[in-house]
Amino acid sequence: MAQARLILDELKKLGVTHVLTVPDNSSKALLNLLWADGGIQVVLVTREGEAFAIAAGLWTGGKVPVVLIQNTGLLETGDALRGTAMRMRVPLLCLITYRGYAKLAVRGLKVTPETVDAELLSKAGLDSVAVLTEPTLKAWGVPYDFLHADADVLRIAEAFRKAQNLEQPVAVLITRDTT
Amino acid sequence: MPRDKSFWVPGIPSSSKRSHQEVTFLTKRELLEPLARLRTDQVVITTMGIVRPWARFSNHPLDFASADSAMGHAADFALGLALAQPQRRVICLNGDGSMLMTLGTLVTIVNAGARNLILFVVQNDSYEITGNQPIPGARSVDFSGLAKSAGFRRAETFDDRQEYERTLPEILHHPGPVFVTVKVEPGDEEPLSRRPEESALYLRCSLAESARGLRRALGER
Ligand SMILES: Cc1ncc(C[n+]2csc(CCOP(=O)(O)OP(=O)(O)O)c2C)c(N)n1
Ligand SMILES: [Mg+2]
Repeated sequence: MAQARLILDELKKLGVTHVLTVPDNSSKALLNLLWADGGIQVVLVTREGEAFAIAAGLWTGGKVPVVLIQNTGLLETGDALRGTAMRMRVPLLCLITYRGYAKLAVRGLKVTPETVDAELLSKAGLDSVAVLTEPTLKAWGVPYDFLHADADVLRIAEAFRKAQNLEQPVAVLITRDTT
Repeated sequence: MPRDKSFWVPGIPSSSKRSHQEVTFLTKRELLEPLARLRTDQVVITTMGIVRPWARFSNHPLDFASADSAMGHAADFALGLALAQPQRRVICLNGDGSMLMTLGTLVTIVNAGARNLILFVVQNDSYEITGNQPIPGARSVDFSGLAKSAGFRRAETFDDRQEYERTLPEILHHPGPVFVTVKVEPGDEEPLSRRPEESALYLRCSLAESARGLRRALGER
């Protein structure tokens, strides 16, 4: 479990100005805190592809955006992520909640693009979006790390700096609900 | 003057051609030349079949082509700029096919309260740069109606050059977000590319370099 308060404090330390999001259950606590705090502007988008284009515009305009989406949204965003934030080389921290991580972890499944097939994607006990999350990030060339618990909040600053250094999006996968 | 453009709409079976229907529209020059004349320090984002024509009227450090990017993501990129630079106006010249791809952005723009954004849709009723295939809803979709329903403070449609020229100065100063549909005659723009030999100056560098150029230009102002 990761406390929303710790994540918010990290984002503030990094000078984040805008969070672009489609909410989900895992980010609920973080979003509620962001709204209650009011220090960072939350921009609701209608689909995740927009988040990457708006983030690219915000960065070009001198701001410090962060994208907060579910892994389903990562799959939604395909061409927008490719054509905006990646193609423009926008240093961009992406916080991605990892739906289905627990079921994947319990089975000890290490999915690679080569092991993805229709059978795996249709298995009842697995969430297929979890199956595709890491292969997708790899395919898009987006480096990622994990935030499992409070002790991992420093991964946020690390990913942020990596994004600045590499001049590209870098993801942190949030594997449990924020509290 | 009404001009019959029924001849050019491809993909519509001849039996359903409404040959008596006359449609009026502007040329790209009639759309762009007055805008370039009135433009001062606004950011101008172009995309698709408007990218090269705009460069024939304008060469400004705050011009940016959403080209070699992602289709449908010029308006939301412009929204990001508008939110980052609330003291400056941002004008986006979007394609109609591109607008259809991300209609939700109309709602996002209004919800984000981008008072400094002016969104044009260049309604040529076609996917011009891929060969003028008709867009879904060609000749029937009312983009300004969609924008009004989404909550734009002002949304109107022009198919007459004089009316457009008369109203444009006011539109450029109206509190936004403002939406403008301009019915434009179809052209034959080629697909876009970014390379040193491009006629349009802002297509001569990569998208990443172009974004950095705009970022610098905005930082200096
Ligand atoms: C996601 C996606 N689908 C399809 C295409 C192919 N495509 C490139 S340009 C274009 C047409 C753009 O039409 P519009 O926005 O109306 O601009 P116009 O060419 O009419 O100026 C299409 C369909 C693409 N680039 N990306
Ligand atoms: Mg078009």
